[in-house]
Amino acid sequence: MSSTKSVLRVENLVTRFKSVERGKWVKAVDGVSIELRPGEIVGLVGESGCGKSTLGRSIVGLERPQSGRILLDDIDLSGLGGRKLRETRRAIQYVFQDPYASLNDRQTIGEAITEALVIIGIHDRTRQRRRVHELLDQVGLPDTVAERYPRELSGGQRQRVAIARSLAVEPRVLICDEPVSALDLSIRSQVMNLFLTLQKDLGVACLFIAHDLALVRQAASRVYVMYLGKIVEQGTSLDVYERPTHPYTRALLASIPSADPRIEATREVPALLGDIPSPTNPPSGCRFRTRCPSAVEACAVAEPPTVWVGPGHGAACIFAAQIRATEVVPQPEPQRLPQQLSA
Amino acid sequence: MASKEILRVSDLCVDLFTQRSVIRPVDGVSYSVAAGETLAIVGESGSGKTVLNFAPLGLMPTGVNVDLSGSILFNDTELVGIAEPALRKLRGGSIGTIFQDPMSALNPARTIGRQIAEVSELHMGLSSSQAESRALDLLKLVRMSDPDARLKQYPHELSGGLRQRVMIAIAVAAEPQLLIADEPTTALDVTVQAQIIALLKDLQKRLNMAIVLITHDMGVVAGIASRVAVMYAGRVAEYGPVGDVLVEPRHPYTMGLIDAIPRADDAPGSLFRGLPGAPPILGAPIPGCAFAPRCHAAIESCHITRPALVSTVQPLVSAACPIINKHNHGGAYVQH
Repeated sequence: MSSTKSVLRVENLVTRFKSVERGKWVKAVDGVSIELRPGEIVGLVGESGCGKSTLGRSIVGLERPQSGRILLDDIDLSGLGGRKLRETRRAIQYVFQDPYASLNDRQTIGEAITEALVIIGIHDRTRQRRRVHELLDQVGLPDTVAERYPRELSGGQRQRVAIARSLAVEPRVLICDEPVSALDLSIRSQVMNLFLTLQKDLGVACLFIAHDLALVRQAASRVYVMYLGKIVEQGTSLDVYERPTHPYTRALLASIPSADPRIEATREVPALLGDIPSPTNPPSGCRFRTRCPSAVEACAVAEPPTVWVGPGHGAACIFAAQIRATEVVPQPEPQRLPQQLSA
Repeated sequence: MASKEILRVSDLCVDLFTQRSVIRPVDGVSYSVAAGETLAIVGESGSGKTVLNFAPLGLMPTGVNVDLSGSILFNDTELVGIAEPALRKLRGGSIGTIFQDPMSALNPARTIGRQIAEVSELHMGLSSSQAESRALDLLKLVRMSDPDARLKQYPHELSGGLRQRVMIAIAVAAEPQLLIADEPTTALDVTVQAQIIALLKDLQKRLNMAIVLITHDMGVVAGIASRVAVMYAGRVAEYGPVGDVLVEPRHPYTMGLIDAIPRADDAPGSLFRGLPGAPPILGAPIPGCAFAPRCHAAIESCHITRPALVSTVQPLVSAACPIINKHNHGGAYVQH
């Protein structure tokens, strides 16, 4: 697909959980393949329950995938075990949504970062202190923060600390799971800019898991759209946002509220009705068909393969080529309107 | 405005006394809402937007003493200093509330049907069977799929969007004149958020409710509100019709907030726009303008004297910033 070698490749990954219903399994991630190239920010978007966090957690080993491969620089992690696996996987770090929960409140910031330095074999006190200050500086925090406790910091500062700590082990890949969604709007841009700078300066590749589509559009060069455990569309940010080809992507993008009341005044029916179906019993064939305005009988029969409509731009929809050519989502049935109110 | 004013808040101050400290999260706030109208109160965490609405209703965590001053007129009833029994009649009756997290606001051990029916029993004096058939109507009103089956379900069996619909059904059960919605869509996906906003708008039309919507999302404001109050550090920074404030913000804070929203023409990989610094930590009232330390237009006097909320050249919009009023509009600003 591309000449640049990928730093992380996920092939056909399946992660499943035992369902509360006896003997049933929930395939939270169901045959997903993605890749990250060095120094690239890649977005992973979808509604809650689509499996995007499970995919991220499976990549760092917080969940155990049932099948599939995770390759870091062409080394298959599933073939490794014990110490070798831990050391190799260190190159992939995770940034959690909630920095309040991911920092130990009894440890100073300096201690929390030093812990990570010890893991990579930096035992010399002076070197540790110098590196802590370097890392804090890299994330835009003053040296004095090293002596502070997490409770003394604001949400934005805590997230910076979490990022500094993940950088301490010099990772090649960061998996960032909703890293700014707990932050206030005015702080969000500051942390987002930090990610953009780190990616430029350190060349760290970043998988950016988020439900905020506008944020991902600006930060990521490429985007994967996930629905019920599957990738339904992928491509460059420009392709996916300017020429969305899967009906789900189109509905998602149409749902983003605009801050301009003149645009909002023209909004009519919500673009997508109902909720995401239960992953315990996913619909047959195309999983989006139960909410899709274009669904026809054929959609229930077989799972649609990814149709490549442009270089690196693919959509798992039988109408993909037609939508891309005409820019119109076919609507075989009259558009379903919200049911009339009886009250 | 032609329609009837439901709520008038004047110069409201809220002081909270905890064991350790005294803070003033709401500092001299005034606004009003009319029947059938939505006022959005926008602000970041710690701006006082939630306390502003819930402290007067007696909805505060235990262990916190609340001291209110100023006035809150709800249909000619003064809520500041009102006795608890009278307040209890209003809450859930003519004033409905919706919270951000429906899971923690619903009772996990009781069915959806029972929780909705309870409101009609309490506030409308219906018998339990009457209330239950009304619960079914309410579930239909909030467009729940399969309403009969839902009545017997428990909160944990529902998705976030459906739970929020249950919350809305409970809030409107007694046909309130005022609905206070605190971040009702924040925990939801954009697709579901659009559905809930459409639902709230529709219910508002049917019941002619006034809505006070607390949010930090300008997209939600643009989608539902007719007027907006932008709060910063417990005070109103800018107040006016949504079409004016969001399209042509005047206060530097509002400008910064709106400017920070990513736009469709921002190039992928380009830096995000935003405000420098962080909002102040709640404490003693700030003598000058609370936004001054982050403001590009601030002059010395901004740090000393608290700017009054005054009309701008656009008479329906008021902003608490003399500098911007002067610079942009030739010194034309009028004291209220």
